[in-house]
Amino acid sequence: MADTVAKSDFLGREDHAAPKSLVLWRPEAKTGLISWLTTVDHKRIGFLYGIAALFFFLVGGVEALLIRLQLAVPNNHVLTATQYNEMFTMHATTMIFLAVMPLSAAFFNYIMPLQIGARDVAFPRLNAFSFWTFVAGAIVINLGWFLKSGAPDAGWFSYTPLSTRTYTPGHALDMWVMGIQLLGVASIAASLNFIITIINLRAPGMTMMRLPVFTWMTLVTAFLIVLAFPAITIALVELMMDRLFGTNFFEVSNGGMPILWTHLFWVFGHPEVYILILPGMGIISEILPTFSRKPLFGYPIVVFSGASIGFLGFGVWSHHMFTTGMGTMGTTAFAFTTMAIAVPTGVKIFNWIGTMWNGRLQMRTPMMFALGFIWLFMLGGFSGIMHSAAPADSQQHNSYFVVAHFHYVLIGGSLFALLAGIHYWFPLMFGRKINEFWGKLSFWVIFTGFNVTFFPMHFIGLNGMPRRTFTYDGNMGWNQGNLVATIGAFILGVGVAIYFGVMLYTYFKGERVGRDPWDARTLEWSLPNPPPEYNYAVIPQVEARDQWWYAKHHQAEVAKTDAAHAAAEAAHGGIHMPHQSIYPFFASCGILIGAIGIAIVDANPDPHVIVGTKLATTLVGALIMVVSVYLWSLEGNEGYHLHIEHEEGHS
Amino acid sequence: MRRPTFFLTSAPWGRCALALSGLLLLSGCQWMRLDGRQSAMAVEGPVARTQLSLFLVTCWVTLVIFIIVGSILAYATFKFKARTEADEHVEPPPQGHGNPFIEIGLIAASVFALAIIAFPTFKGISYTYDVPAAEKANAYTVTATGYQWWFKFEYPNEQIPGAGVVTTGNELVIPAGRPVHIDLRSVDVMHSFWVPKLAGKVDMIPARANLLWLEADHPGYYWGQCAEFCGESHAVMRFRVIALDAKDFADWLANQKQPARQVAIADSAAPKAQFASLRTFQQNEMGFTAGDQLDVAPLDAWRAKQFPEKDEDAALIAQGKALFAAKTCIVCHTIRGVASAVGVRGPDLTHVGARTTIAGGLLENNAEQLQRWIHNPSLVKPGNKMWVEGYLVNHISLTSDDEVALVAFLRSLK
Repeated sequence: MADTVAKSDFLGREDHAAPKSLVLWRPEAKTGLISWLTTVDHKRIGFLYGIAALFFFLVGGVEALLIRLQLAVPNNHVLTATQYNEMFTMHATTMIFLAVMPLSAAFFNYIMPLQIGARDVAFPRLNAFSFWTFVAGAIVINLGWFLKSGAPDAGWFSYTPLSTRTYTPGHALDMWVMGIQLLGVASIAASLNFIITIINLRAPGMTMMRLPVFTWMTLVTAFLIVLAFPAITIALVELMMDRLFGTNFFEVSNGGMPILWTHLFWVFGHPEVYILILPGMGIISEILPTFSRKPLFGYPIVVFSGASIGFLGFGVWSHHMFTTGMGTMGTTAFAFTTMAIAVPTGVKIFNWIGTMWNGRLQMRTPMMFALGFIWLFMLGGFSGIMHSAAPADSQQHNSYFVVAHFHYVLIGGSLFALLAGIHYWFPLMFGRKINEFWGKLSFWVIFTGFNVTFFPMHFIGLNGMPRRTFTYDGNMGWNQGNLVATIGAFILGVGVAIYFGVMLYTYFKGERVGRDPWDARTLEWSLPNPPPEYNYAVIPQVEARDQWWYAKHHQAEVAKTDAAHAAAEAAHGGIHMPHQSIYPFFASCGILIGAIGIAIVDANPDPHVIVGTKLATTLVGALIMVVSVYLWSLEGNEGYHLHIEHEEGHS
Repeated sequence: MRRPTFFLTSAPWGRCALALSGLLLLSGCQWMRLDGRQSAMAVEGPVARTQLSLFLVTCWVTLVIFIIVGSILAYATFKFKARTEADEHVEPPPQGHGNPFIEIGLIAASVFALAIIAFPTFKGISYTYDVPAAEKANAYTVTATGYQWWFKFEYPNEQIPGAGVVTTGNELVIPAGRPVHIDLRSVDVMHSFWVPKLAGKVDMIPARANLLWLEADHPGYYWGQCAEFCGESHAVMRFRVIALDAKDFADWLANQKQPARQVAIADSAAPKAQFASLRTFQQNEMGFTAGDQLDVAPLDAWRAKQFPEKDEDAALIAQGKALFAAKTCIVCHTIRGVASAVGVRGPDLTHVGARTTIAGGLLENNAEQLQRWIHNPSLVKPGNKMWVEGYLVNHISLTSDDEVALVAFLRSLK
């Protein structure tokens, strides 16, 4: 039995099978396709999120390379205007909603329950539903590539009235509108799950001020998602009603108000920026202490600044709208709140440097990415401060200067942190470690390519090149900067290819490592790798902020409390595990079919046949969803108990 | 796959990569020159100058912070780096948790740094919003309206008896040395009015009365462009601002108020224009490259455009004028003085021959480009209404002779 535990690939032994009828089928597969479709294990769902996110990251990367190819020289014709507009619309949509957010969600799912000493998230089936609904949304958004209508091309911001039926008649935008709504459903469901998990499922002794910073940032991000997505959902529903049913929210000729969309979009859109960066800040706050071999400098301040970024993040949206003519008072107010939000952001950087100060820095690959993050995020922060000066921003707004700015914070910030996180937790997830040579090579190539691509864009922007333009003339002084940026983009592409190659190689053939290879500090590293399905054979008693570091230095006491917890749990029947279920997957399939019905089936050519098809498809989807959710609630959540006869000792 | 790791502890990759990127970034450095046609750094008016000086304040403040924080970060990285394998496994350092005084000090310093930016920001916002009260009386007013994908400029104070106000397309002529108040309107989607050398952008939003002001220090020719994504041909929605001294401006206005120029047979002695048959233009192949005459001395080129072409052929022009009606151009374009040419969906063409550019600031206004434009508008500006709702809907096709005649007519409209 000890062997089973040590080598577990998320597996454990269950003591009995639950009773079932034909409809209320209890899937028990632990391997194979069915096991993945029915899994409720937060680690497997996290893994699925990660795979999906990395796939879309590559898709978005190819779109980016095509954009750079088109702009390599003036008056290029690699892409037509429409194709270019599709590319930048889908590049942004893909990278934001289908790559960075789900990659963060992958870490939330996989790491956060481990960090708080939990066995799963609070609602395991809802968690599965979140993932499958995310997949449904991703499919709907991307279906356009395979249809005559083409992909969405109104920009990821889809400003009205450009995005109304009058100016963008095709179905592409209906797909985008439906797809983003599905992603909203998935994100809100997942976030509620994370919030409830963090509030309720912490191990004994894990007070809020002992939570690892990554878990704190998960909590803040989840709150941001829950509060920000309703704004975009309202806007999307209004736009959908305008497009499908002829309402007039944004129809100027009938009294609609296009600026309403702009506000609602950025009320969501700016918190979204922090939704993208806060998980990264959390990851960095885990990696730096580990590789500096010191606790995080100023933990309460780092946590508080993260939370205040979350609050202030809702009060700065109009700095995306400094050029919309808000008047002097509105502009001043948002300029000042934007400056204010720079303070907690700067504080984090100071504390990260404080963490390194007097440390013993181990320059491993995750640490390299973390240091790269600090440098690049700092530069992106500076150009952000420049934008807070509203009159100066009126020159930079919608120019390549802004493109440079947000790529510094989104690639240099979010993406570097996520790549660091993959390296950092890879040994925990798969029991193998990335080769340092190739890891560092990928870092330096990515770092170089990134700067060669985006640094010149500051200058192109100051030189007056607007963004979202498929072509430019040769006399504007933009030629060389654009060519350098394109070369840089391909260097970046090579770096990412090395990174992925190394990951794949390591997954199959990398060096095996034992428990806690980094001599880390937080609770997840106390687990064998990969962690068993039930995570903790014994729920730990948390005594300190860096509990695992504490446990390593107080082994006798920890063994005593562990034994007491084990006895108490055995008396209650063993480890309680949730049942697998297929209904979250079926419910998401229903949603997918319904969304396709609403968005894609053409209503125009033959009203009698097609309207019927549209309605029928939508109703079939809705029916599948309703029946699945009904069966989901009917099957119950009693779960089952696992017995571990012997847990591998702490190494 | 595996390499000895000591090879990396001295990070030669880092140095190679940095050296390489440094070389690439600095090669030629031409991309760092900020004197382009639309540079916000080479400004020629008080509004853009205010915005630039504020930008420079933010640059200096952040540069100082960067030097301080960056040096500390670099110092910490090198000072506290574990040098060898053995170094990594020595006793962990003291487990300090932070220092509240340092934190509070740093927060106070950040707030102070931001205050340096906040004050000029506040001043700049009110200065750049509208013409300062002291200069209101001297200000000149125009209205700019965004269309997919061109700009209409109207001069509300310049009435033409019985024919509305002076109206032009894609080239805004303003008096130099005078504040110009511009009302911004849009008839379809959101656009944004941006002439970087004169002022930052303000959006043109349907059902919303926006405005900006700008002033050109001296007579000049300025490049502008739509800066809000507005659909398929957003990238080629461009325009120009031409600033003239008071006398030139008055002359220009006087000419604009005239109806379209008529070319009598006697005016013209030159033979029929002989321009080469249309060469095949590629999609996205646009007008301007560095070194064009218009690029080198644009204001002179503009002045030259105010005079009749030398190769005018009155018969051809008359033929073009007839075709302008026959091919339904009149439905969308106004030419004052040409009967029934009263359309308002497209730019007013009464004086189109006197403009330096056509097709929304995209192409130089010469015979070859004019012919290219009317030959197949969708190859120049994909999705434009002249093509989609004009040529396609009305099944318009032009023979080569038609094109030559129309071009001659349009060029005569000085």
